[in-house]
Amino acid sequence: MGSIIHPAIFFAVLVLGSLGVCLALPRRKASPQLFGALIAGLAGGLLLIAMGIAGRDHLPNIYFYIFSLIGLGSALRVITHPRPVYAALYFIMTVLASAGLFLILSAEFMAFALIIVYAGAILITYLFVIMLASQAPEEGEIEALATYDTQAREPIAATVVGFLLLAVLTTMMFRGVPQLPLPGPVAPNELLAQMPRKVESVLRNNRNPDTGQPYLKADGTIQITEVAPSPAHPAEPLFITINNPGEEPVVLAQDKWPEELTVKNVEALGFDLLRNHPGSIEIAGVILLMAMLGAVVLSRKQVQLDEDAKANQARKLAQDTLGGVNPGLGRSPLESTHAGGTR
Amino acid sequence: MINLLAQSGFPDAMHGVTLAHYLVVSALLFVIGLIGFITRRNLIIMFLCTELMFQAAGLALIAFGRYHLNFTGQTFVIFILTVAAAEAAMALALVVLLFRRKESLNAEEWNELKG
Repeated sequence: MGSIIHPAIFFAVLVLGSLGVCLALPRRKASPQLFGALIAGLAGGLLLIAMGIAGRDHLPNIYFYIFSLIGLGSALRVITHPRPVYAALYFIMTVLASAGLFLILSAEFMAFALIIVYAGAILITYLFVIMLASQAPEEGEIEALATYDTQAREPIAATVVGFLLLAVLTTMMFRGVPQLPLPGPVAPNELLAQMPRKVESVLRNNRNPDTGQPYLKADGTIQITEVAPSPAHPAEPLFITINNPGEEPVVLAQDKWPEELTVKNVEALGFDLLRNHPGSIEIAGVILLMAMLGAVVLSRKQVQLDEDAKANQARKLAQDTLGGVNPGLGRSPLESTHAGGTR
Repeated sequence: MINLLAQSGFPDAMHGVTLAHYLVVSALLFVIGLIGFITRRNLIIMFLCTELMFQAAGLALIAFGRYHLNFTGQTFVIFILTVAAAEAAMALALVVLLFRRKESLNAEEWNELKG
């Protein structure tokens, strides 16, 4: 643990952070939310700085700090903002920041899939439900915050439990991470052997800087030979032989490969997904189908108001129609307010 | 741009200390989600907090995948996204049902639902 952060600093920072989060949670009376958020942010910053000082030679780059502070800050705001709509919008900020972190980790496809699926689809569903499931304000009144939104339940106990869990988790991490084996050498372009058409079109569309001609002429062919990875050729598991008509076949040396001739993240991910996890895709499809069916069945269900809510509605309705039209006539008010749910 | 952003070129290994940074951020995100889930009483925000925890798990998976230089971590995040989408659809349908019944999103209104 000492190689990553000094334990005393670490636990002090955790205590400071839990104090900050606890203060930032909404309370009944005027709560020092801003002050708490500042303390929590200070603790987060101190944690990252202390880790950076202990492991000075292997710092993540500057964008890591930017994205993680944005992400953690807006995550804190998600759990402290009293209005659900704003919490959902701050959650989008968190999603964007973690997409940025994915980009730093060279997971480009997942970064954009995360933005499209989370920020584009899931969060919009959340916003719809928040708007569907909120009480309309009384006429001429600004919408009041519900008490259950403005008061946190058991803030102190929750923060203590949460940060205890954090302390245990990160202690284990800091012990385990230095013992992880370093990955062996990888051959990033190994998959090109599975993609002969890509290799061919790249070679046709790029010109050899030595001769000024395309690598592969219009009626030339290529041959890809795989070799077993060996210590002598860790980075060169395949040879590309170019047969141009009227010329001797040439083996293209790897340092002469055109720049485009690499396996992109999307391609590698697609191969991993479809070759190594074909069963999981089927299961994911079944899960999505079940969710769709479940949502359809649930939303078709007719709902009865329970006793308290019925009494509330009746009282409200009596107030509205007091002195007006006879409320006993026509459709029952309970039915009309919930017509959407009945079939 | 990608090269500017990236920690280092993809096939280059990432050091354990760098991995620890990402894991700490992921653990913090998870714990913030957990605290939110316990303290907030609005059903919708409770589900938002579970999504926060999903994010944290995804970040840890991708950081480990980058450390070991394989793509399994990223593949698993695809499945996390699938499960999160399914969970959001079902959970929100349930929340709408519950709201129609009690006209309130307060989770404590439903404390009679016991075992």
